[in-house]
This record gives sequence, C-alpha cells and structure tokens, in this order.
Amino acid sequence: MEEPRIGVYVCWCGTNIEKVVDVAEVAKAMEKLPNVVLSKNYKYMCSDPGQDLIIKDIKENNLNRIVVSACSPRIHELTFRKTLEKAGLNPYLLQMANIREHVSWVHDDKKAATDKAKSLVAAAVTRVNHHEELQKRTVDINPATLIIGGGIAGLTAALEIADAGKKVFLLEKTNHLGGVVAGIDQSFPYFDSAQQIIQQFIKRIKQHENVEVLLNTKAENITGYVGNFKMPLPMLGIDAELEFGNIIVATGLKPYDPSAIREYGYGYLPNVITSLEFEKMLMSGKIETKDGKTPEDILIIHCVGSRNKNCHEYCSRTCCMTALKFATQLRSALPKANIYQAYADMRSFGKDCEELYLKASQKDIMFLMYDQQKYLPEIRRAPNREKCEMLVEIEEILSGDMVEVPADLVILMTAMEAHEDVKDVARTVGVSLCGNDFFIERHPKLDPVATTTDGVFIAGTCQAPKDIPDSVAQAKAAAARVLSSIDVGQVEIEVTTAFTNEDLCCGCQTCISVCPYKAIGFNEENRVSVVNEILCKGCGTCSSACPTGAIRTRHFTDKQIMSQIEGMLSMTKRKSKKTELEV
Amino acid sequence: MEFQPTIISFLCNWCSYTGADLAGTSRMKYAPNIRIIRIMCSGRVDPTFVLKSFREGADGVLICGCHPGDCHYHEGNYKCLRRFKLLHKYIQQMGIHKDRLRLEWISASEGRQFADLVDNMTERLMELGPSPIKEIMEIA
Amino acid sequence: MNNRVNPGFKKELQKFGMSEQWNECFHCGNCTAICPLSENEVLFPRKGIRVIQMGLKDKLASYVEPWMCYYCGECSETCPRDANPGELMMTLRRYLTSVYDWTGMSRKFYTSKWWELSYILFFALLVIVLFLIYLPLRPDAYLMVNESGGVMLNHLVAGISGDQFIRIIEFGDWAMAIIVAFILVSNILNMFYKIILSNKSFKVPFYAYFTEFWRLIYNFVTQSKFSKCDDKNYWVGHMLLMTGYTTMFILVVVALPAFQTEKVVDWYNWQRLLGYYATFGILFFLTVVTIGRIRKKDIKLQYSHSTDWLFIIMLGLTTITGIVLHIFRLAGLPAATYYMYILHLAILVPMIMVEVPFSKWSHLAYRPFAIYFSRLKQVALSKQYSTGLAPAI
Repeated sequence: MEEPRIGVYVCWCGTNIEKVVDVAEVAKAMEKLPNVVLSKNYKYMCSDPGQDLIIKDIKENNLNRIVVSACSPRIHELTFRKTLEKAGLNPYLLQMANIREHVSWVHDDKKAATDKAKSLVAAAVTRVNHHEELQKRTVDINPATLIIGGGIAGLTAALEIADAGKKVFLLEKTNHLGGVVAGIDQSFPYFDSAQQIIQQFIKRIKQHENVEVLLNTKAENITGYVGNFKMPLPMLGIDAELEFGNIIVATGLKPYDPSAIREYGYGYLPNVITSLEFEKMLMSGKIETKDGKTPEDILIIHCVGSRNKNCHEYCSRTCCMTALKFATQLRSALPKANIYQAYADMRSFGKDCEELYLKASQKDIMFLMYDQQKYLPEIRRAPNREKCEMLVEIEEILSGDMVEVPADLVILMTAMEAHEDVKDVARTVGVSLCGNDFFIERHPKLDPVATTTDGVFIAGTCQAPKDIPDSVAQAKAAAARVLSSIDVGQVEIEVTTAFTNEDLCCGCQTCISVCPYKAIGFNEENRVSVVNEILCKGCGTCSSACPTGAIRTRHFTDKQIMSQIEGMLSMTKRKSKKTELEV
Repeated sequence: MEFQPTIISFLCNWCSYTGADLAGTSRMKYAPNIRIIRIMCSGRVDPTFVLKSFREGADGVLICGCHPGDCHYHEGNYKCLRRFKLLHKYIQQMGIHKDRLRLEWISASEGRQFADLVDNMTERLMELGPSPIKEIMEIA
Repeated sequence: MNNRVNPGFKKELQKFGMSEQWNECFHCGNCTAICPLSENEVLFPRKGIRVIQMGLKDKLASYVEPWMCYYCGECSETCPRDANPGELMMTLRRYLTSVYDWTGMSRKFYTSKWWELSYILFFALLVIVLFLIYLPLRPDAYLMVNESGGVMLNHLVAGISGDQFIRIIEFGDWAMAIIVAFILVSNILNMFYKIILSNKSFKVPFYAYFTEFWRLIYNFVTQSKFSKCDDKNYWVGHMLLMTGYTTMFILVVVALPAFQTEKVVDWYNWQRLLGYYATFGILFFLTVVTIGRIRKKDIKLQYSHSTDWLFIIMLGLTTITGIVLHIFRLAGLPAATYYMYILHLAILVPMIMVEVPFSKWSHLAYRPFAIYFSRLKQVALSKQYSTGLAPAI
C-alpha cells in the first residue's frame, strides 16, 4: 500500500466542543505528526458542508487516511465512513477521536481538556497509519421474522409484516395473546373499548396464514446474526428449529407490585387496589368495596412506584391519563360519589390528553398534590365510628396543610416496570439494557426502534413506558424497518472478524477454547486454526489469547492498538521526578 | 505543579464505552487524566497492551468491561478477568504498585459510576506519584 | 382543628356569592405575586383558594387574609384561568362575616334575600308604626315655620316639646348603637378566638397586644393598606364615603341636639357644612359604584351579590330622603317634612340594623381588627422563627 497521507479534522460541534477545547490549537498540533498532510477545524463536521470539505480534500490532496475528531464514534462513525466511500476511499481508513463525550462534556479546565484532546487525536493519527482496507461482506436475509411478545406492540408488528406477505413467528411466553391491553376496559383519551381493539387483533392474527403463534414459548438460545438467526424449539422435537432474518423484541411491561410501599397497605387493606384491578372492576360493570358496598369516597393515588428513588425514578407516562380516565368513568358511574386524586404532578401530555384533564377537572373531582419525594400519603383503616372504610393522611403541598381524606376505595396507579426475565431475552438477542432494565435503542432520537445489534429491533413498553398509540407507532416503525431489510434482501455485515495467519499458527488450539461462538475450527491436515468468518462476531478474545500472534482481529489488530497507546502517550508532557520502586 | 498522572484505559464498546458516553451526555464532570481506547470486548485486552502502556509512560491502566453475565459476546469479560488476575500478580513483581492496574465492570447505564471511578483512580495515582517505569525507560 | 377534606363545602360557599369559577385555579400563584398587599406570612389569595378547593372549613374560619384584601381586582385581571380570585376574596369576606356572627343572622341574610327583606321591612314598619301611634303629627303643624321660613323640625309632634323630641330620638340612636356595638364586639371576640386563640401553631407574646394596638387605630382612620393598591382613585372615593358617614354618624348620634336644631342655621355654619360634605361624600362614591356595577366594565364591579345591591339601594335611599327632607325643611313644608322624616328613619334604621352588625358594613370593624390580628400572628411567628420553633405555614 502506498505511503499514508493523513487528513485530520477537528470538529467544534457548534460550541459543544469549542467552548472547552481549543480546537485550533489541537488541529495545529497535529500538523507536526508524521504523515499528516493537513489538519483543519470546522464548526460542524457531520453537516453536509463539513463532509464535503473532507471529500474535497481527499480528492485535491490525495489523502488516503482520515481522522475525524468529534463526537463518539457510536454516533457518527457510520456517517464518516460513508463520506470516505463517497470520496472513493475504503471506509475503514477512518479513525475517530471522541473529544465531545469524553472531553468537552466532562471537563471544565480548558487547558487540561485541550491537552487531553491532543493526546486522543494524536492516538487516532498514529493508529490510522496502520488501518487496512477491509472489504464489505453481504449476506442474504431470511424473510421470516421472529417477534417476541404477544401484546399490542407484538401483535401490531406481526400483522404489519404478515400483511406484507412475509412469514412471522410470534412468541408469547404466557398461554394467551393480548398482553396488558387485554386487561384494560377503555382507553384514554377517547374512551373507546380497548377490548374491541385487542380482540380484533388477536382474531386476525390467529387466522392469518403468515403468522405462526407459539404460546408458552420463551425466546432462548437464539444464535446466528442479522439475516440468519436460529432458535431451537426443544419442546417440539429434537431438530425443530426456527429460522428467521430479523427479530422484533416486544416483551412489554409488568405492573409494579405496590405491596413494597408500606404507606399504602396494599395486600392487607382489602379496599386498596391497583389500577389494573380497577380495570377489571370496570369491565365487570360493578364498582364496589370488598363487602359489596357502593363506595362513597374514592381516592386515586398517582405515581405508585414511579418517580421515587426508592422505587423507579422514571415517569411511567400513562398513569396520569389513566387516572383521569378513571375519575371520568367513576363520575358517570357514581354521580354522587366524592372522587379525590392525590397526584405529584399532572403530566397529561399528548394529543387530546390535556383536554381530558380539563374535562375531568370540571367533573367535581378534588385534586390534591403531594410530594412524591418526601411524604407519601398514608392509608389506615378508619375507626368504627367513621362511615368510611379508610382514612388517608396527605401532606398537601399546594396549601402546605396536612389533610385527611376519607376513602372507601383507594386505586393505586402502579408504575410500569420491566419483566424480571427481560435480562434473559436481552442476553439471547444481544442487546443491552438501561439501568431500569429497558432495552437501549441505537439512538434515542435518530434511531429509536433499532438496537446496536443488527437485525434486532424493539417496540412497545420494553423500550420505555408508553401508551397504546406510541406502542403501536413504534411497532409499525419496527415492522417497516424489518420489511425494508427484507425488501433489500441482503445486508452488509461486520467485517471486523478474526482471521489466522497459518504460517504463524502453532496449532495449540487456545483460540478454539476461548471462542464463544464456536467460530474457529481446526484443520487437522495442516494443524492450524481456521476462522469461520460468518460465525465470527469480532470480539477479539482469540487474538489476545493467541501466544504467537497468528490470529488477528481486523480493525483491532495488535499493531493498531499498540500504536494508539504510543500516540496517546506521545503528547503527554512528562515531568522527570525520581521515585523509588514501589512494591 | 502538582503531579498529574496519566491513565490509559481500555473500554469495551458495548457497556463501558457507552457508559463513558453517558457520563458525557449527562455532563458529569471527572478528572481529565484518563485516555480512553475503544475495543470491542474486554476479552480483547491483551496483557501486552497493559505492559505497553506502562512502558510508554502511563501511570495507571484501567480496564472496563460489562458486568459478569452481561457480556455482549457472552463471556469475554470472564476471559479478561482470568488474564487480569495473572497480570496483576505479574506487574507487582515488576515493581508496579497493584493500584496502578484496575479492572472494573461498568454497564451502559453507569455513567455516574464511571465518572466516580476515574476520579477515585486519579486520586489514588496522585498519592502514588509517577510510575517507576518512566524512570527506568528514561521517559522524562 | 379538623383537617378532613370536604368536597361539599364549595356548594355551601356558593350561597355567599360567586359560582364555581375559582375551581379553574391551577395554583400558578400569579395572583399572589401581583397583589401589592400580599406579603411574607400573609400570602393571598392563592392559598385561600386551595383551602376552599379542599373544603377545610376550620382552617378557613381562622383565615385572616381575606380582610387584608381591598379588592383592587388586579389578581383577577392577571389570572390566566379566569378563576377570579378577587371576587373569591369578596365572597370569603361574606362567608367569614357569617362565621364570626354567633347569632346566625348574618348567614340568613347572605344566603336568603327574603330573610333580609322581611327583616328590613319589619324595622321599617316598626319605625313607621311607632311614629304614627306615639309621635303623631300635631294638627297645627302648618304653624311650625320660623321667621326665616324653615320648618321647626322638633316641634312637629303632638303633645311633646322640642327638647323631649330630641331626647327621644337620641335615646333611639343610643339604643341602636348599643345593640349594634354589642353584636359587633361579641363577634370580634369570636373572630379573635378563631384566628388567634384556637390556632395552636403559634402563641402571641403578651406585649404584642399593646405594641401592635396602634395599627388598629391607624388603619381604621387612614386605611393606609388600601392606599397601597395601585388604583389610588378607588381609595380616595372610599375615603370620601367613609369620612362621609363617619361625619354623619357623629352628627346624628353624638351631636344630635346641635345638628337637628330648632331653627335652620345659615349655610356657612359648621353643622350645615359638615352635613353637606357628608352627603356629597356618600353620594359621590355611591354614584360611581352604582354606575360601575351597572356597566360591569371594571372587574371588581362585575359581580354583584344581592346584598351589594341592597346596600347601595338602602344607603342611596337614606341619602336621598335626607336631602329631600332638608329641601322640604328649607321650603317650609311642615307636613311633608314630618312624613319625609319618618320615611328617612324607616330606611335608615333597618339599614343600620342589618348592614352594620350582620352584613356588608360590618367590615368597618372586622377589617381593622383583622389587620391587628394578622400583625399579632406575624409577631408570634417571627418570634418562633428566631427561637427555632417555627411551624410550617
């Protein structure tokens, strides 16, 4: 390969980087490094003019290596690889230095941040010297899709894909379809029957020729890669195996168990019920206490399990509207009842939801605000002389008064939380979970239905709490992504796999013992290891285990990483200071 | 001027690097002494990378991977842990203090923990002073 | 103090004035922020709205803040939800008047027009009947015109001398004043109990009752708080009205013999000048308010409770009959003067009997005392703050 000619580009990211890092100084420092032909700084490298600048420079100066020093490569590495491709360069001749997430956003000291940025960019420069051209590989996409979860999101995605004439395997771990929506009476804000919606879906799914529903089945032992996944079905016989090209995870949510909150007495106070239990009551058409009396005072408590550091810190997003829906339904069912809502903040966002709040607030409902972080309402049994079943103490923060609310029925608006077994699903599909055990999307804004694992998409409340319209929208988006990949028919797969230099291989088979994908075979004839590059996912464990350096991981070779270390430490100013050897 | 250590760190792409990115997007401040190298899996950390870092003048080396059981490649972090145990003994025999090399688990959601870890390690290295290897290698 | 929420309370409050408009309030606090009178520890009107929304009756009974409000209307103009906090404060003053009044009459009058009208009619008839039976017009009344042509007012009644007549009227004045004062004072004690004594969250230091007393007098006379409202004209108008009827009160109760003289004194004499001033003061502000209430442009005059109109009508009729009486007297028409005198009293007496102890006019006593009590509360609380015993307010 010809002599490296490197172009360095330091991005300002508006003021995001520029206000902490002296970008001009960083760019200038790079000019002195070997093989650097030019070094520039620009306001937004990822913008069209920024990318055009790179393309123009490549063409005019015969650049053959590019370093972009900007945000995290997890965000824009693909963008700049495409830029290189446009300019006719191999996309792997790019190296990014992350000076936003790892420098400007986490440091205040301008001098230290600039020094650190210099060292990171220098490391990228030294590393890019050793980059090699890598050829893309494509594989065919199996047009079948696996959908994990038979709730509203799973059903929607399944119908969308099946209606397009593609095969769908719908896994449901319980013995029935419908998920949480099947337990809801009416949906907010229009009070249309959730039952009608979901039952229609289920009916269509069951009759659909392209959908194979597998009840009582969990997603386990999924192997393969985008376009060619496999999952064994041991219960259906030894060799039964599902083959599919894409996966949509729609495992949904679990209602929070409020018995953990001492103040609410759920479990031992018979008339304290959860929102889903109340939905059942609504469906049965009978709103009554455990003794069969019609309740006169009904309290709805918001944020049960949500927005509290002892439970979940996130907002479950649907409870406020559901509570308003309950209040409206209660008002029409029991015109004379006293209805109270204890809320932390009324978050009635979304189309026609603020209007729902407005309408509900005109229905003679008493709204009481409490501090979700400090004092939760405390429910206790009412003494016998009282007419009501329970008395609830609430520190009402709009007045600053401690008030007492009589109640015959208390409805707890329980949070949405992840299923306990979601970790197993995450592991088998190879997607990370966030701190609250929701699936992490590839990009929160730009790619909210994909994950960092190619061919695995997410929809519905397994990604974050959401209402029915949002779940349906995300499910349809995921289905569209799957359909478009089926339509293309082929997909580029990771080329950063391992390969062996047979001349160096001593045949010790250490690499075979460490490979988690059984991607390395042994050639008995030549006594060398051979990598199956289709199965290899490029983790590089074999490379670091190999005693002779025969097995190498593309794009993460020893040479590349070593040079990165060298580059990183070359810019650090060192002070001579005598120290004794420590033991 | 107070001694400022340099830490070379190897972060796996899926958990720890994402966690460090999260610290950034959450604008959590931490010590600027760390230099991050992205690798796909902590299982890729070859002991020679660590030795090379010390040789080139790093005052400390930090390896971060997914929590046990959460590895994107199923078990790379366990492989890393096994190597680390040996390496940890080895560097002490070379006269490098044990606190100069650390292996920690940082998940994609643990931005806070990452920032705290960096601060904590930087502080410890400031106590320990410059790495003795620098003198041997005559890195001034 | 009972802190049980009561959703039915708002229905009760509605009888005292405004509709459920205040339920629109979402507690942004703009009203409290804009109010020039709301200050540390005496925050209103938002907090009061909250107390009502929750129906905390006991808390409301101890709530002194509505009296701090002079209804400039700025809060209602600023309110983003049109919850009309100013009118709510007005409604609350009516409600609180009924809370302080242990006789229960105030409540009856505010919640039922017919009760109030019957009560007024009763006193009116009482005055007329008493006059016609015990103080009838003397047959030779046409002679009771002095040399300057004015009617000799005190000599129109058969069988008694002018001095006797004055004494009888004076007796009536004082009897009324004592009844009214008794009711007001007992109600103020009740108010004191509800605002200060029953509230266990603070204890007023004994010295404060004396050191803060001057505020009561000062505010009664100057209404300096009212003058802090941005609309100064309203304060001037109210001042004219207030000094007007205070003057008139002194003239007819304390100085009756000097005021209701045998002969019509010359116009530049103090009695007549003061009388004219009082008449002008009352009539001027009354006219302004009446026009405002009819036009409904000014936010504070948009909503008129039946008792507001009744007060205007009674005071207006009293003033007009007083003027007509004065004209008849000057014109030398003894019989007409006599009958107009009866009519004047038949309106004045029920007005005093209903308005001062039980209705709108009672604020002349409650407001200065409320300011006094709220100062006591502030002194108590700031003392508790400094000693670290402060309760949440």
